[in-house]
Amino acid sequence: MAKAARSGTQPNDTVTSPEALGTFGRYAGPATLILSSLAEGEKHGYALTKDIEAFAGVRLAPGTLYEALSRLEGQGLIQALASEDRRRPYRLTALGATALRAHLASQRRVADVGLRRLAGSGYTA
Amino acid sequence: MTRTCGDARRRAARLLRWYPKSWRARYGEEFAELLASDLSERPRSRGRSANVAWSGVVARLTSVGLTSHALEPSDQVRAGLASLGCALAVFLVFGAAMWSQLTVGWQWARPDTFGTRAAMVVMSGVMLVFVVLAVLAAIPVAGVVFGRMARRRAHGLVRPSLLVLAGAAVLIIGGRHFGNGWPGTGGHPWAHQGLVPGGVAAFMWASTLAISSYWAHPAALLIFPPAEVAWMVVSPLAMVCVVVGATKVVRRLEVSPRLLRYEGRLGRVASVAMGVFIVGSCGWIVDGGPGPRDLFHVGAIDIAGLALMTAASLVALRSIHRAHGTGLSLLAD
Repeated sequence: MAKAARSGTQPNDTVTSPEALGTFGRYAGPATLILSSLAEGEKHGYALTKDIEAFAGVRLAPGTLYEALSRLEGQGLIQALASEDRRRPYRLTALGATALRAHLASQRRVADVGLRRLAGSGYTA
Repeated sequence: MTRTCGDARRRAARLLRWYPKSWRARYGEEFAELLASDLSERPRSRGRSANVAWSGVVARLTSVGLTSHALEPSDQVRAGLASLGCALAVFLVFGAAMWSQLTVGWQWARPDTFGTRAAMVVMSGVMLVFVVLAVLAAIPVAGVVFGRMARRRAHGLVRPSLLVLAGAAVLIIGGRHFGNGWPGTGGHPWAHQGLVPGGVAAFMWASTLAISSYWAHPAALLIFPPAEVAWMVVSPLAMVCVVVGATKVVRRLEVSPRLLRYEGRLGRVASVAMGVFIVGSCGWIVDGGPGPRDLFHVGAIDIAGLALMTAASLVALRSIHRAHGTGLSLLAD
């Protein structure tokens, strides 16, 4: 992620806060998965689908994937690169890396609280 | 290219049609490539087709400024104004159909209840406001379009402008032709005894003749003169031409932020006027009985018309809210 943050470029249009992912509504989930995938390095649509399926067990439908990509690009969190043989790769921007880090930290806090409470409640797996 | 691969590409191209042209220009090629790969891997998936269709509809709504996805400020305002115009057109067609049948009825006899009379006065006042707003909105836009044409810089504006003019000409000529002979027109003895000039009421009635419950009664429709039935088919097409042409002009025309703000303010007034008209039409529907000679009877089509007008006004409100909220405030002079 640090590498992507260093190599990321400035957002192309709108000024976005690092908390931007919270404004994605029902696309927040797909957006988090996409940003997490791109944190490893640039990928095109199909590679993103396969990678997300591998690490999260979720297969993003094509329409959902591109709706989220278009929103992420519009917010300057990812950047489209030059097209390679009809497939266009995307990469994380510095702003996207910051937004992803903030969002995942927030998710981790929620997960930690939930796991701690479960452990204290006497429920067993 | 194998046959399966060719099939996948053809199916991908078909699915891509759900998306608007501007989206296809930006993402079309890469999205088709992804779809083709997905189709080759999973040839049958209803979930995928439904997902693409739904996302295409969302992309279309986004392109006209009706989702929370922000566009560039000037695009957002233009998209908002264009969708407001479309919603207003739907509203006006059903509103004018409802209003004109009542005002033509008043040429025969005055409504016998205060509620219906008050509702018709409110609706007539709002119709006048709509006419004034349409003139105020159209004059500066037409000025910019003609200015561009004079300087030969009207690329992409000539065809939609011609479409608007052709549609309007058909509506005016046809409306005049089929409205002639109704009370208040053509020297009819009951002229000038209604709420509004009879010629205006008859013209509006004739222009919206297609909004009719007769479509549900084909046997009755067959008794109509063939020219009138043809007009009931042609007039909606002419309206569509006007709306599509005007929408394209608004979406394509580069105008100053000042003019966009001016049009935005008019749009806000129009959305208030829509609300007032709905209050008036509700007043008639709640109060309306058959009235003298069964002239002010409320039918199922009036209820359906009111429902459509309410839906159109909600879309208009959302459009103007989006234009003001995220577009106009960010526009710099």
